[in-house]
Amino acid sequence: MTLTTTPDGVRVEGREFPTNRGGLCRKGWTAAELLDRPDRLGTPLLRTEDGTFEPVGWDVALTRWVRELRAARATHGADAVGVFGGASLTNEKAYALGKFVRLGLGSSRVDYNGRFCMSSAAAAGNRSFGVDRGLPFPVTDLDDAHTVLLLGSNVADTMPPFVQHLAEARAAGGLLVVDPRRSATADLTADGQGTHLQPLPGTDLALLQGLAHVVLAEGLADHEYLAARTTGLAQLRPALNQWWPERVEAVTGVPAHRIREVARRLASDPRGTYVLTGRGVEQHADGTDTATAAINLALLLGLPGGERSGYGTLTGQGNGQGAREHGLKADQLPGYRSISDPADRAAVAAVWGVAPETIPGPGLPAVELLASLGRPGGVRCLWVNGSNIVVSAPDVAAVAAGLERLDFLVVSDFFFSETAAHADLVLPVRQWAEEEGTMTNLEGRVLRRRRAVAPPPGLVGELEIIAELARRLGVEGFTDDPREVFVELAAASAGGRADYSAITWDRLDAGEALHWPCRPSAPEGSPRLFLERFAHPDGRARLVPVGGPTRRPAPGPGPAGGLVLTTGRWLEHYQSGTQTRRVGSLAAARPEARLQVHPATAAARSIADGDVVEVTSAVGSALVRAELSTAVRPDTVFLPMHFGGEATANLLVEARTDPVSGMPDFKATAVTLRRPVAGGSA
Amino acid sequence: MGDRLLVVGFGPVAVRLVDELLPEVAAGRLRVTVVGAEARPGYNRVLVGEYAVGRTDHEALELVDEPAWRGAGVELILGAPVTWVDRSARVAHLAPGSPVEEVGYDALVLAVGARANVPVLRGINPDPAAVAHLPRGVTVLRTPADGDQLRAVVARRGRVVVLGGGVLGLELALAAHEQGCDVTVVHHRPWLLTRSADRAAGAMLEAVLARAGVHVVADAIAREVVLHEGGDFAGLRLADGQLLAGDLLILACGTTPRTGVAAGAGLRVDRGILVNHDLEADTEGRVFAIGDCAEVLCADPTCTVCPPRRGRGPAGLIGPGWQQAQWLAARIRRELDSDPEPMEPLPSIESDVIRLKAHSVEFAAAGEIDGEPWESPCGRSVALWADAAAGSLAKLVLRDDRLVGFIALGLPRTAAELGLRYGDGAEVPADLSVLLRLDGPDAVDPGSPSPTATLCRCAGVPAEDVTAAIEDGCRSVAEIGAATRAGTGCGGCRPVLQQLLDRDGAVAH
Repeated sequence: MTLTTTPDGVRVEGREFPTNRGGLCRKGWTAAELLDRPDRLGTPLLRTEDGTFEPVGWDVALTRWVRELRAARATHGADAVGVFGGASLTNEKAYALGKFVRLGLGSSRVDYNGRFCMSSAAAAGNRSFGVDRGLPFPVTDLDDAHTVLLLGSNVADTMPPFVQHLAEARAAGGLLVVDPRRSATADLTADGQGTHLQPLPGTDLALLQGLAHVVLAEGLADHEYLAARTTGLAQLRPALNQWWPERVEAVTGVPAHRIREVARRLASDPRGTYVLTGRGVEQHADGTDTATAAINLALLLGLPGGERSGYGTLTGQGNGQGAREHGLKADQLPGYRSISDPADRAAVAAVWGVAPETIPGPGLPAVELLASLGRPGGVRCLWVNGSNIVVSAPDVAAVAAGLERLDFLVVSDFFFSETAAHADLVLPVRQWAEEEGTMTNLEGRVLRRRRAVAPPPGLVGELEIIAELARRLGVEGFTDDPREVFVELAAASAGGRADYSAITWDRLDAGEALHWPCRPSAPEGSPRLFLERFAHPDGRARLVPVGGPTRRPAPGPGPAGGLVLTTGRWLEHYQSGTQTRRVGSLAAARPEARLQVHPATAAARSIADGDVVEVTSAVGSALVRAELSTAVRPDTVFLPMHFGGEATANLLVEARTDPVSGMPDFKATAVTLRRPVAGGSA
Repeated sequence: MGDRLLVVGFGPVAVRLVDELLPEVAAGRLRVTVVGAEARPGYNRVLVGEYAVGRTDHEALELVDEPAWRGAGVELILGAPVTWVDRSARVAHLAPGSPVEEVGYDALVLAVGARANVPVLRGINPDPAAVAHLPRGVTVLRTPADGDQLRAVVARRGRVVVLGGGVLGLELALAAHEQGCDVTVVHHRPWLLTRSADRAAGAMLEAVLARAGVHVVADAIAREVVLHEGGDFAGLRLADGQLLAGDLLILACGTTPRTGVAAGAGLRVDRGILVNHDLEADTEGRVFAIGDCAEVLCADPTCTVCPPRRGRGPAGLIGPGWQQAQWLAARIRRELDSDPEPMEPLPSIESDVIRLKAHSVEFAAAGEIDGEPWESPCGRSVALWADAAAGSLAKLVLRDDRLVGFIALGLPRTAAELGLRYGDGAEVPADLSVLLRLDGPDAVDPGSPSPTATLCRCAGVPAEDVTAAIEDGCRSVAEIGAATRAGTGCGGCRPVLQQLLDRDGAVAH
């Protein structure tokens, strides 16, 4: 987008760009309203003895913080201090933060909310392709697709401008949407523009196995491609032969003939066919395997690395791609390097000017990190930067209790978020329009973010905070200049999987479209990753058998009166809602959470539209108004994740995670539903 | 008790058991030998019909990752029927000509499955051992080798006679018909799928088949297999004298659990090999039976788990067999770990959903299907929908608001949803018609937008704002976008904007 400063404030205008073609959604059009909100945080706030917050100067804030850091480390060891980051931070901040935790604090305890977002798809991509880049092709490649299988992604609400790229597929009747709800995206399949499959939440893996089964069993697989570009067909085949369509129907509720139809459509002409996944299929305790099953299907069809075909995952947050490449993940170093691999460690250590053994080993993935708060051996002093975990993490009641156990909690945000309310120190930070840096979009293309307006006086950027903390802790090697940080980041990534070493701000500012890997030997970058080879040493993609016999079945509706809760997003709101709930028009359109319930399910419980209902899971209860809709399955209820307080969806979600990726199971929780018999008001 | 596990039988249930135990075998904690009567490793029997009509190939039947199994150390002995088991010596004896003569064990799992029934008909030998000696053009359908005959007939669009209108017979008949064969189904009961459909559903099913072009002869007694002079199948003679000519006769007359080896070893057998609900066939907990050969029913009269199973016999379905394999593997793992925690028992009733695998007819059924809507004995209620012209029927049997049985014909989404709810005992909507409408056009049509609704979802612009913008002089979609932001997101509403421009803009001029 383009910003213009006017006497009335900042004006937002769409900017012609390949991914959105000048289009913006309501969140984009109204984003500038947040820049001068009166409730924006303006100075550090320090909790006082009586529990209230008191504005303090930066020196007081940092002095206190450094004292707490030192105390925690001296008493409990370096791993007693930790950082929880966010995938909305720029590449430069993500890099600096990851480096600061490892070198400045000497701690391994860093992870970020991208663990709740992209980690399953990332793990699957690494396992199958040897590399993880959301889309290994430019999004504009979708423009002439005739068939797109879109699993668990409600793009019509979450990134409306993306829908433009589906126009050809819809015209060809080939938009295939998998969603337990008839979402706005599923509605795009109406009138012969495609097919909507509506499986029970938590059964996507079985559905994908069934689609792949049909492709193999009916002889629709591209065996020439499989022989030339993959390994593992012999192992995959027996696993898939167990998933004939009628068996899949019994698990998913999707009729067998529709599974066959969709599989045949996918195989009818691989050129022009794409498979895309989103959080709906990835945010499960078997999310990595589910994403892998989608990749297996795409490989059987010969899509990845072909001309005009492929598999991709639609990245969630603003910098969901970039933030995970530069060291905010517990198990990674910059350049998408492994923190456990000696060669990777040595390469980064050389850039950082330290001995490899100085860099701590792998830390804890987000859910484990949060579970450790204030526990013996756990983190005692935490900095939450760019994340509202009291709304966005699973089992938020337990997370809030963990925050209360901490010795010292620092939260940086633009607004006083639900998480900030638990803090000992709240730090105001700059917003997107007020800073310089880079982001990496869902295509692996690095984008410049430019300062459009001056930040309010008295605000300090995260890079300056990090540099100042490092200085006070007596650690060298941290600068507050984002351009210098990028130069270092590019050097640290050289030779890594996400190699930025030939990218410079000057090239980006000159308008070059640069997709990583972008190295001096191939400075033009890599818009299409897999045309020649995949990133495993042998150049081949792996077909990985998943959903094996020992896998536990998805949690179906549990006890009597049981329903499955699935959570997700609305058009009007973004993430935990800290920002969008403060935008007048968005809050007016969607002021509070609503639980989507099928009318028949509601009728059985004497629930009317607008009634307050109590939703209860194994870990908690939420109170929220019901919104009756036939767009949701009768055995399923849907709650958006954008709200706090009693309507927080994650009060209900358990802290169960995927064993490979650490991804929480946000999308399938067994719940019961009732109208509370409240005294008086009911 | 020792680490030698012998699995006798190599069907899909045996494969699942070994797959589950593979990590233990690879870790050297368990030695596993599988003895199979057929020459090939275990395959997916459920898909033999698909293979037999040429819809898929041999490879689509494979279930065993053989290199992984051998790498882990599983020993396979193929083409070796077990003739008897000496329980006192803990040795299984193999038929003459097998690669080895005997295999010792510490624990034994019988997963020997069931054999196809051969009916008593003039012209063929009903001895089950003589299945291999059926006349050319007469076959049962249990193995891929059986399927090869049908495959050849389907390839030349021959005439197929199917004796038996049960699930297997009907699936084969429909598949062969869908592939272009002329097909006749002969059934000895008054209506097809006698065990899974009531009279009304059976009658409608027959009508649906007739409309599709499958010839059904119900309530018929087959008398004689008539052969050509060369010994090939010529036709099936019925008791009323009618001769049904064809190129191939498929005998789909049900199966019988293989109990011979168990009976010979002194184990209890009834319709199947009797095992208690811990799947033990003996009193020592050393011999187990799973899958089509196993009948789960405790001898213990005080058992509270087994009574609902009485009289049901082996399920004969792969789902319960795989469930047993998983449960038994978990039990074996626990014993290896010396885990004293008691296990969750096997579910007392296995899911018995019948889902016809056919492309042209949608049929599913399960559980209790008897009763009529106007009867409501002992807390049961029956709901029925039938539309003969459309060939659709749904019957739901409920007890205590839970689905305990159903039939669904010609309603695929309804069938799928009923299957889910029957399987896990989940809630059934109070208004059952919700489930019927899933296959209706209103279930997929989001409906036409109301005139007051938001026109541009992305920017949240109501229709009236657009109308106002046109009245204020906007003459293009771009101008409307500039004025209202409508059409500036996904662009999905731009055609509607153009329509409004064409309509209202023309008026304004």
